Amino acid sequence: MNRKNFLSSLLTIGAAGPVLAESAPAKARATSLLSIPPYLRPGDTIGITCPAGNITAKEILPAVQQIEAWGFRIKVGDTVGEKDSIFGGTDAERAADLQQMINDPGIQAILCARGGYGAVHIIDQLDLSPLANHPKWIIGFSDITVILCHLHTNGNWASIHSKMCNSFPDDWSKAEPAQVDSILSIRKALSGERMQYKVVPNTRNRNGRAEGPLVGGNLKTIESLAGTRSDIDTAGKILFVEDTGEYLYSIDRMFWHLQRTGKLDRLAGLVVGGFKIKPDDPGDEFERTLYDIVTERVRAYSYPVCFDFPVGHQKENYALKYGIPHLLDVREGEVTLTDTSVPAPTTIPGA
Amino acid sequence: MPITIPPFLQPGDTIGITCPAGYMPLEKAQTCIDTLPAWGYRVKVGATLGSESDNYFSGTDNQRLAELQQMLDDPEIKAILCGRGGYGLSRIIDRIDLTRFRQSPKWIIGFSDITLLHTHILTRCNIATLHAPMAGAFNDGGATSPGVVSLRRALAGEPLTCHAPTHPFNRFGTATGPLIGGNLALLAHSIGSPSEPDTTGSILFLEDVGEYLYNIDRLLRQLERAGKLNDLAGLLIGGFTELKDTVRPFGASVEEIIRDAIGTGPYPVAFDFPVSHGKENVALKVGATYRLQISSEGTVLQE
Repeated sequence: MNRKNFLSSLLTIGAAGPVLAESAPAKARATSLLSIPPYLRPGDTIGITCPAGNITAKEILPAVQQIEAWGFRIKVGDTVGEKDSIFGGTDAERAADLQQMINDPGIQAILCARGGYGAVHIIDQLDLSPLANHPKWIIGFSDITVILCHLHTNGNWASIHSKMCNSFPDDWSKAEPAQVDSILSIRKALSGERMQYKVVPNTRNRNGRAEGPLVGGNLKTIESLAGTRSDIDTAGKILFVEDTGEYLYSIDRMFWHLQRTGKLDRLAGLVVGGFKIKPDDPGDEFERTLYDIVTERVRAYSYPVCFDFPVGHQKENYALKYGIPHLLDVREGEVTLTDTSVPAPTTIPGA
Repeated sequence: MPITIPPFLQPGDTIGITCPAGYMPLEKAQTCIDTLPAWGYRVKVGATLGSESDNYFSGTDNQRLAELQQMLDDPEIKAILCGRGGYGLSRIIDRIDLTRFRQSPKWIIGFSDITLLHTHILTRCNIATLHAPMAGAFNDGGATSPGVVSLRRALAGEPLTCHAPTHPFNRFGTATGPLIGGNLALLAHSIGSPSEPDTTGSILFLEDVGEYLYNIDRLLRQLERAGKLNDLAGLLIGGFTELKDTVRPFGASVEEIIRDAIGTGPYPVAFDFPVSHGKENVALKVGATYRLQISSEGTVLQE
């Protein structure tokens, strides 16, 4: 627990330098030192908790078995198996479970069991100060975007955006390779491997190279954090977004919101992940695709834009190191996103 | 700076009808177009109403913007009635030139997506607008409904007195302050943008339609976390209609969700206030000062 390899480094400046210098004083906290928790070693403990939606003890078993097979210990939180309305326990129970795991020096990472809804109920009750003495990874996506954004804005804590317990396959032999690779990428990210993602180029991409911290998550959730303590400053950063179950008009409105709240104009780069689109109601055909919507919104800027990145509510949802500097290289023949915080290169097969 | 109240309408004044957001066929607005002259007003129908558009919007962004701009700037038009809401104000709002409107204020009427225009004008111009039924509300006998009648009275300058029945979740008290509000999702959508309103000392009213229960909760949590519920004078909860639930049921009524999400601020709160996407939708002047009384007898809102 007395980890000496705790990293605390300046943001990689590079191309983002002048942009950071322009940041308003009110947003200065976003330029505080990046804190990267220690990567995990075999024998380390991962806590599983439900800060949002509820899950049964049985539903987390595939994740528990797999993570233990990777050589980590598991500590199952009190909220697993709890249920209050759609939540994994009452607000007080969920806040206490997550807080206890933040405080516990014997826990090196906290895996959120699932998303759903509810992280925003407890986020303002959390005391992040114990992380200074016991830094640890917090892992999740979808509704957990609340926590990842909050960690980034309040202390510049790196975290991991990835699949959660509810996405581990019951039967590995029958799981699709994309799902297996996505799950295995969590282990790679937690173990400190240099992450690199190769993406099939989309004709609507905008080519270019950009370097900056990777932030973002679920688009609807990002919108719902505007004006709050958990809101993210995107200036000089690579923003990634994904969503599910939204109408095209609503996606359009959310991209307008990003623009109208100053989250698009000073980006280093934009990564558009998976969007499961809710079909238009008859008579309300939007007649613009996701690609049209994004292209319209970023037309005034010149940074690289990558579509169809394998992140979102889908089988291909690779672990991303949140808040950590990455290099986005969008070219005609190849698109790569590379974690620049770790020197040794490792390519994720299939990614 | 005191709020500017646009001049009330005189017989013979002209009301322009435009669709700054979603598409609306002309026939859906026909009853409204026929009724306004019976109220003593002329009607100028914009080309966006019943346009050639074959998609979601009533016209391109430039067409919708140009027509709204023209009606804002036309000295002959004394009020602008939006045909309907839907979605679309966000796409044009930052390109509206409010220079002439500031010099010659006029009533802007609508709700739902038009909420963004209300908060924008209140924030940028400090001019009152009318959160009220739109053209479609005149159909099927709606022209004599309390909501449309209240719009007629508001345009003519009659001050509003509105009564609502009591509700078990009401918090009793009295308050005086400027009225602000509208569609919950659009209010949340304005946060962080140049259209974001300051709600301090205001009587806030909220309504929404077609949202998931969990999303109503999330929107209210955003308002609360963004400080929009902290220093209110009062809160009016309107209708939350056509709501949806998730596969795993939320397990609480929308009233319970709202009661729990708004916290325990010291201001009075009334549920069942007649502002909504349903039949009950009284005309409210956003920015104007009202007096609110909530007691065991019910709720009274008075200009």
